[in-house]
Amino acid sequence: MLQAHSFLWHYLWLAPHVLQLALAIVLCRRGLHKLFPVFLAYSIFEAIEEFTLYGMDVLPSVSGETFWRAFCVGLIIEGLITFTLIGELALHLLRPWPAVAKLGNQLIRGAGVVLVLLATLAAAYAPIDNPQNAIISRSHILQQTLYIVLSGLVLSLFLFAAYFKLSWNNFAFGIALGLGISSCEHLATWAVMANGGLSDKRHLLDMLNMATYHVCVLVWFYYLLVPERKRTKSAVPLPEHNLEIWNRELERLLQQ
Amino acid sequence: MTLAIVIVIAAFLSLVLILRIAVSRSLQISVGANLPAQIQPIDVEAFRNLINPMEDDYLRRRLPASHFRQVRRARLRATSAYVRAAGRNAAVLVRIGESALSAGDPRIADAARALVNDALTLRRNATFALIGIHMALAWPNSGLAAAPVIDGYGRLSSSAMLLGRLQNPAVPVRLAAH
Repeated sequence: MLQAHSFLWHYLWLAPHVLQLALAIVLCRRGLHKLFPVFLAYSIFEAIEEFTLYGMDVLPSVSGETFWRAFCVGLIIEGLITFTLIGELALHLLRPWPAVAKLGNQLIRGAGVVLVLLATLAAAYAPIDNPQNAIISRSHILQQTLYIVLSGLVLSLFLFAAYFKLSWNNFAFGIALGLGISSCEHLATWAVMANGGLSDKRHLLDMLNMATYHVCVLVWFYYLLVPERKRTKSAVPLPEHNLEIWNRELERLLQQ
Repeated sequence: MTLAIVIVIAAFLSLVLILRIAVSRSLQISVGANLPAQIQPIDVEAFRNLINPMEDDYLRRRLPASHFRQVRRARLRATSAYVRAAGRNAAVLVRIGESALSAGDPRIADAARALVNDALTLRRNATFALIGIHMALAWPNSGLAAAPVIDGYGRLSSSAMLLGRLQNPAVPVRLAAH
């Protein structure tokens, strides 16, 4: 059951992307594609990319070399779309609050630069384990590089929002959560593969990646379909005694 | 493989942090009513006194250098406690303001938006001030710019009072002397 090309393997490769296409349709029907155009593009691209790769994997006429080349090209485009998606999430988080928007943008950009440097360093130290199939090792290293930057950026967004107690739009939060779970898990598995670990159990790592992605697509569906919970039924009243204390302190401040 | 182990641990810790933040977000939504109790009043006058550069100059002139550094560090630690409390209050007010954003009354929503913005500015300034305080702890003779925190706290009080007045018109809340 946990072997490559088992029923579960086929299901895990295809099902999340069928769901992603359904997600894209629901997004458009609810008019959310105007609010999250990059997420829509991401969902559609992911589905097309994975269906293409699946087709190339099962077709005997496609060589391994061709498959991995297509994999790398898809990965680079996917990376560009995903970074744009993070920009879209940052925009949703920061745009309503000019007080921290500039700081947030600067911090996220700064984190991006540091992460790119770290990812480059990690890539430089990763071994090419089989020179004859160097394209496979290189694609693993590319994945590791991409997910170091991606997971770091998503984590920066979460930390920034948590520190300033910023509230996300429910669906934006769902997208960020799914992206965060998927990028952290993918980072771990691709780092193991890129550094030559568990070479005889790579199909298990592949299945773990696919299963995690499936969970993430379900997370996106959950946050898209379940209505947002309001913070409280009515506004939280400010404490009178504190207002009086503040008032007194403010009066003193102004009288000085 | 050492590199892989380091990356796997980093990825795991990042995942735990993200999930923890996600869970705390859900908890924040459900315990919103307890927010006002979390506000810690601050003695603004004492705070102003602590960051007054004239007080520092006076102490510098009066005390031997080593004793001055000791006193200055003690004052900086006290300032740090005030700045932390101001930052924490700002975070609570962000959440109180956000909970009032969806109010039907546009005046309340506007006041809530102003409160959140002022609270965010204060939290940002408090963070920078804390960094400055920690640098000043290492070099006690350097200057300290905590004034934006105290000014921000004053502005935040006004925003909070305005929102409080709009939410509870029956409660007599005095405005600052004009």
